[in-house]
Amino acid sequence: MTTPADIEAMIAQVSLRDSNAFSALYDATSAKLFGVCLRVLNNRGEAEEVLQEVYIRIWHKADTYAVTGHSPMTWLITLARNLAIDRLRKRKLPTKPIEDVFDLADDRPGPEAEAMASSDRTQIKACLEELDPKHADAVKRVYLGGETYKELADSQNVPLNTMRTWLRRSLLKLRECLTR
Amino acid sequence: MTDQENPDNENAMAAEYVLRLLDVEEHAAFEVRLRDDPALRAEVTEWEAHFAKIAQDVQPVTPPSHVKASVFAALNPTTSSRKSTWKWFAGLGTFAAAVAVAVLFIGPVLRSTESLTPSFQSELVAADGSLVVTAGVIPATHEIVLKQLVGGAAPGRVLELWLIAQGASAPVSLGLLEAEGTTRIRVPDEIAPGVRTGTIAISDEPAGGSPTGAPTGAILATGTFVDL
Repeated sequence: MTTPADIEAMIAQVSLRDSNAFSALYDATSAKLFGVCLRVLNNRGEAEEVLQEVYIRIWHKADTYAVTGHSPMTWLITLARNLAIDRLRKRKLPTKPIEDVFDLADDRPGPEAEAMASSDRTQIKACLEELDPKHADAVKRVYLGGETYKELADSQNVPLNTMRTWLRRSLLKLRECLTR
Repeated sequence: MTDQENPDNENAMAAEYVLRLLDVEEHAAFEVRLRDDPALRAEVTEWEAHFAKIAQDVQPVTPPSHVKASVFAALNPTTSSRKSTWKWFAGLGTFAAAVAVAVLFIGPVLRSTESLTPSFQSELVAADGSLVVTAGVIPATHEIVLKQLVGGAAPGRVLELWLIAQGASAPVSLGLLEAEGTTRIRVPDEIAPGVRTGTIAISDEPAGGSPTGAPTGAILATGTFVDL
């Protein structure tokens, strides 16, 4: 089992241009990051391209990891998610709602995800549960589906500014809960 | 009270920034403020950590093996089989390790904003530090403004800027740098979309630039585009 400390050590080695460590880091984390890219992009070919970009970025940016203050998986996931969102935003094609492609109800964590999860996960889950379910759902769709205020407003049939006011309020409630 | 002065707005905006909910202008303005505001950066880091936990529920999916092969080929061109047009790239392998990461925020070059001052900065540094060039991007005009801080072309030679777009079969010349000081290079619209995910390189060329349309001299510095 690869622990966060192992991954952190690999990143440190990668920053010293150790390609064996880079290979090991890829083997330990690529399935998770590919899952994230697939989830955001919902397109295998694009997800593969973005995953490639993610690891090239990791190779070049490994030396900046330490100053981010993130746990290793948070850093990697944030990198993958952001590059996938960049790609999504560049794409002009309309996308299907994520629910049409993934059965969200069946999205229980696999053994690997479970092993990586910490008690923190229950905290964000618990805090999301305190929100209006529609808003909690919106937060998840924005993070993993890259939805915009416009798309959220259209799907909920409210004006864009109303959507923004609602979501901002929910984000502040979320923050209050997370720092409790 | 403005957004900047209201801590609630500030915190909500940091979350919106992390979620990528801000529009282009707001996003760029927020990034400018992030540079000088450690507290705001801490807020962003905190939100990133919280939201990343949402992704912990995402099922891992093993990627096909060719992705790993492509990553390694891209980082170590000497071990990959490429067309002869890529031969010059081999020299890049030795540089890759020592070249400082260029931080060129060129993504927004594709978006339109009204500002005519550079919004994004970059730095290309030669492996031995003999050449240091910063690059700023003016999103509204697709211009790259290059400033030579250290070093320059050898006598009778010029520096040429190249773009190697991801998946491209050959590098594309973006233009020549002035002998010293500042150079403004406008990236053609049809090339601009490839800049964000590509690599830029500066090569040493004969006066007037490469006669072949491909780099003929040493690659002095390169950068990949990295979002902070």
